[in-house]
Amino acid sequence: MGEKDLQDRFQKLPEAVREKADSALADAKIALKLRIAELLADKEEKAKHAVTTAGRIGAKSGEVSELTTILPLKPDGAKQLRKFFKLVGGNLAGAGQVGTLHNMRFVFLENDTKLLFATAFDGEWDPYIDDFATKIPDFMDYLFSNVEGWPGITSPDVKEFIVKHQLPAEAWYVAHPDLTVAEAGRLKRQEAAVQRFLSDLN
Amino acid sequence: MPSPLFRRLRRPPTLDLDDIQATLLRARPEPYFGTHAILEITDAAGGRELLRRLAPRVTSAARWDEPQPSWLALALSYQGLVALGVPQESLASFPANFRAGMAARAERLRDTGVNAPERWEFPFGTPRVHIAVTVYAASEDDWRAEVGAYEKELGEVPGVRLLSHQDFAADGFNVFGYRDGFSQPVIEGSGAEPLPGDGRPIKAGEFVLGYPSETGTPLPVPAPDVLGRNGTYVVFRKYHSHVAAFNKWLHDNASTEAERELLAAKLVGRWRSGAPLALTPERDTPAIGEDPNRINDFDYSADPRGLCTPLGSHIRRMNPRDTKLTVLTDVNIRRIIRRGTSYGTPLPPDRLKDDGTPRGLDFIALGARAIDNVEFLQSEWVGSGNFMGLGKEKDPMISLQDKGAYFTVPGTPPRRVQNIQSFNTLLGGEYFFMPSLSAIRRLSSN
Repeated sequence: MGEKDLQDRFQKLPEAVREKADSALADAKIALKLRIAELLADKEEKAKHAVTTAGRIGAKSGEVSELTTILPLKPDGAKQLRKFFKLVGGNLAGAGQVGTLHNMRFVFLENDTKLLFATAFDGEWDPYIDDFATKIPDFMDYLFSNVEGWPGITSPDVKEFIVKHQLPAEAWYVAHPDLTVAEAGRLKRQEAAVQRFLSDLN
Repeated sequence: MPSPLFRRLRRPPTLDLDDIQATLLRARPEPYFGTHAILEITDAAGGRELLRRLAPRVTSAARWDEPQPSWLALALSYQGLVALGVPQESLASFPANFRAGMAARAERLRDTGVNAPERWEFPFGTPRVHIAVTVYAASEDDWRAEVGAYEKELGEVPGVRLLSHQDFAADGFNVFGYRDGFSQPVIEGSGAEPLPGDGRPIKAGEFVLGYPSETGTPLPVPAPDVLGRNGTYVVFRKYHSHVAAFNKWLHDNASTEAERELLAAKLVGRWRSGAPLALTPERDTPAIGEDPNRINDFDYSADPRGLCTPLGSHIRRMNPRDTKLTVLTDVNIRRIIRRGTSYGTPLPPDRLKDDGTPRGLDFIALGARAIDNVEFLQSEWVGSGNFMGLGKEKDPMISLQDKGAYFTVPGTPPRRVQNIQSFNTLLGGEYFFMPSLSAIRRLSSN
């Protein structure tokens, strides 16, 4: 039986069966490719990107953890938050003082009824939440008081509240897993010093 | 003769000192003698009976500034509360890490490798650690009397079993030969007058349950109130000190005694007398170490780069004072009361070979956040350098060191000293709850 005959016979099968066969073949192709890529991958590189846990909840790669939450907003919550974000032109530069934040984003979902808050940060979930409660409580409460059920940053229930709304990532990749915000700052200072030295040298 | 390091009670206290255990406020005498015992409750009624008998011996914090020949402290692990038959709704009101116990928190505490719970001494890491009894005394005779009294009760009560008994004694210097135990936070409402350099008094709720904390509100108190209020948490960690390895490392990396003492001071942040590098950068000045008004009278405002006191030195990590940290941190909620004790004899600096004698430190931290804080300290301030911009460098004195670890002595140029070892390794530990005196009575009458 030639390839042509096989094709003909395959075409005669019911559509549902054909679809099933196609998708199984496609899955097998991808799986094979991934498997080969895995075999060829640098073991050290792979170990560097290993995904571990950020402690209480969430994924961590090297030093960098992820946090994604979808929070229900109060009726005027989105309006209030938009006002604030507009005031600062969407620029949250002040967040730099936290010192562990790589990035964060605020996205309104489902007709302004929900807020997606996602961030990448250094270290584990727990360590610095308590510090926010005593160092920047007003700011935390100003932002999140627009969220339905927000217990307040100094409440003993605040961690449980965040965990309840957090959606842990199923996969997590960071380009430089060993580079904390503090380390990046140090490298930039070092680079500036090297450049200065080279300029002075010539 | 009270130690010159004793604080004086200068203001009328506003805490329920009659109900709070003495250890929270009472400083170790100098010299000191004592015992740490770990007990297992095999029968709830027996456990309650022992508490009933020991309750009158547990000393309160009243008049904590007056010398006392000896005192007894008592604390319970979560498994101990379970073994006593404490009701479920009350058990559930304790924090999750306390309920899990120290061994279960090994990952968070960075207790891996030689420090891992699988390698701990018995009875640590087993669910049989229920009651911790500690006796502190100012003389050998008083110590024997106090221990004898407690042992008599223990011997008469069936249903409670002694698992470990460890004696300790020291003169205020640890087995490395450094003065210790003199830096403590000042608790608001305790009546203590801050000594120079102590910083502002810290809200009582950081150290005793049921009072406003630094956030303005009390931290969660276990239920019912009579059980939780005026209590606190205790973190107990028994370390073996590798003094010979420390001495050898100094000899390998410095050629004269003066150089060795300076290198050691760079690791610790203080000289042997307790005098800080910040006040006496070139050599030890024992007069400063002996003066409670001077020993802590410094900050790091003139030393942002750590040229005098390295950012990575032990004391600057454990209490960064006014150091600008790279991570937003409230140093005032990370303070702990330390009631650690040394065991075994010190090994002089010229001894480079281990003599096989057990010696070390029982690290004891107290506070309403003590468990959270020790977990925080272990992962952030001891086991990492990120908070000070030091990358992966760890605490040079108490951290577990990776192979090929180093310590950087800041300077122009900086000096990188290779092959720093784990100078203290963990033999075990547990999380305890130190109940108030009224809570002990309540627990004994369940």
